Amino acid sequence: MDNSQPGSTKNRIIGAIVVAALVILPFILAQFGMTGEFWIWVTTEMIIMALFATSLNLILGFGGMVSFGHAAFFGVGAYTVALLMKKAGVSLLFALIAAPCVAGITAAIIGWFCVRLIGLYFAILTLAFGQLLYMIAFQWYTFTGGDDGIHGIPKPEFLDPTNFYLLCLIIFLVCFLVMRMIVNSSFGLSIRLTRENLDRAKFIGINVRRYQLINFIIAGAFAGIAGGLFTELNRFAQTEFLHWSKSGDAIFGCLVGGMYSFVGPAIGSSILIFLHIILQQIHQSLVEIWAIILGFILLAVVLFAPEGLVGLYLKITKKSET
Amino acid sequence: MKPEVLKIENLVKSFNGNTVISNISLSIAQGELSAIIGPNGAGKTTFFNLITGYHLPNSGKIYFEGKSIAGMQPFDIVRLGIARAFQITNIFPKLSVLENIVATVITHKKGNFNLVTPTVKLKSVYERAYQILEDVGLADRAQRQSGTLAHGNQKILDIAVALAMEPKLLLLDEPTAGMSPEERWKTVELIQKLWQQLNITMVFIEHDMDIVFGISQKVRVLCYGTMLAEGTPEEISKNDKVIEAYLGEEVE
Repeated sequence: MDNSQPGSTKNRIIGAIVVAALVILPFILAQFGMTGEFWIWVTTEMIIMALFATSLNLILGFGGMVSFGHAAFFGVGAYTVALLMKKAGVSLLFALIAAPCVAGITAAIIGWFCVRLIGLYFAILTLAFGQLLYMIAFQWYTFTGGDDGIHGIPKPEFLDPTNFYLLCLIIFLVCFLVMRMIVNSSFGLSIRLTRENLDRAKFIGINVRRYQLINFIIAGAFAGIAGGLFTELNRFAQTEFLHWSKSGDAIFGCLVGGMYSFVGPAIGSSILIFLHIILQQIHQSLVEIWAIILGFILLAVVLFAPEGLVGLYLKITKKSET
Repeated sequence: MKPEVLKIENLVKSFNGNTVISNISLSIAQGELSAIIGPNGAGKTTFFNLITGYHLPNSGKIYFEGKSIAGMQPFDIVRLGIARAFQITNIFPKLSVLENIVATVITHKKGNFNLVTPTVKLKSVYERAYQILEDVGLADRAQRQSGTLAHGNQKILDIAVALAMEPKLLLLDEPTAGMSPEERWKTVELIQKLWQQLNITMVFIEHDMDIVFGISQKVRVLCYGTMLAEGTPEEISKNDKVIEAYLGEEVE
């Protein structure tokens, strides 16, 4: 079933508790010195990547289109912030406003070609465009710094780890609520129609490509915000941000969390990052076999919880009710 | 003579050199309830696909209310007032029955680009959707996931989706295919009721001759891409060519 309808009171309460916990969290972590600061950094990354995964899910879960090129918009957002702040010296605020705009324009150009295709061909074309941008960033040394990337992005004084965490949390919550509003709107329903049945959608008067393109642009713009924040978090931008494996991270997040639910991708992506870091903490060698571990996780999800953790949760709670 | 809703002139369609529709001309009068019959492979569904813009004709003209529509996109043709239900059920299976209709009503009202208001807050849309479900007798199943409905009810929902677009011309491709005999007659009664109630033009493809001769005002016979005969049910049942080419085969 589709779980995108506006939440019940119970879900709202859970949401409020989670948000409250997320607001308090950095203040608790700050008590633990260096370790605490490290975990603030990790949770900030989790929040940013949750935004990225949620934006991808507008295309993947709600639009039913598999895109391997979503990192392109994440990367464009990242480089926009990096270049504007480092080379043009603009403020963080302005750079963060520019990031989704530039990413959205890029998505409009790439999407214009991609929505002409469906299914596998769409996926391959998004991959091709994503890798094209990756190669441009890689080769254009004078502009993007090539393989080195752009380092030493200035950080405003007031942004200590806690404040930056809170900034990311606020931006995430705003984006999250806006995307949720879109999903529950008439436009969101129309997008789900195109996922469910492309042909039928045409025969009730929906210009499928136009809707898919607009959805693609919206998703790209939000990915750009995530990319911009990620750059500021790391204080560098590098070609890796554009690489298709970055798109893969978001896709895995959607799969693990459940792409037919709105919160699923954020949860899935956060869990995967958390696991990755925990393994790293236990032993460095575990990180080297991360791909294998991830493979097993995905296998388990696909076999036993095809609708992800949220789908599994709903199944269990439904069973206990009856 | 009533004004014609649809007028088709010398329509030709071929796929990879196979001519499926060869030179069909006809006109359908406003408010008519008519049937298209013909053996399998006669080109009946292709004919609907051409009218609704799913296929482009090789040559020929299609006029809807005097406007040439050949070459237009399906979603534009629908907006002019030609809706269709499909031979193989064609709904949005993961959405609820109600959502299927709600989405169509929103689309019909051109409200799709509203990115702000939650759909559940659109009261008038929901009222309209419930009314349509009442009309077709699916109101008690409104909250069911549409893909889990029984086959017959999915076909009815398909028709309801088409109705939600408030068409002037409704094309039904084998509306009773795969149904049990009782379901069939219930569906036929429904079609007849809707036709009278809504005062629209309907064309249906059907294999069951009892249904065809029972409710249609006019029958058109397609055979190998050409129009073999056209007339009232009585004329058709007495037409030698039709009996020979089509009805006769069944008796043998």
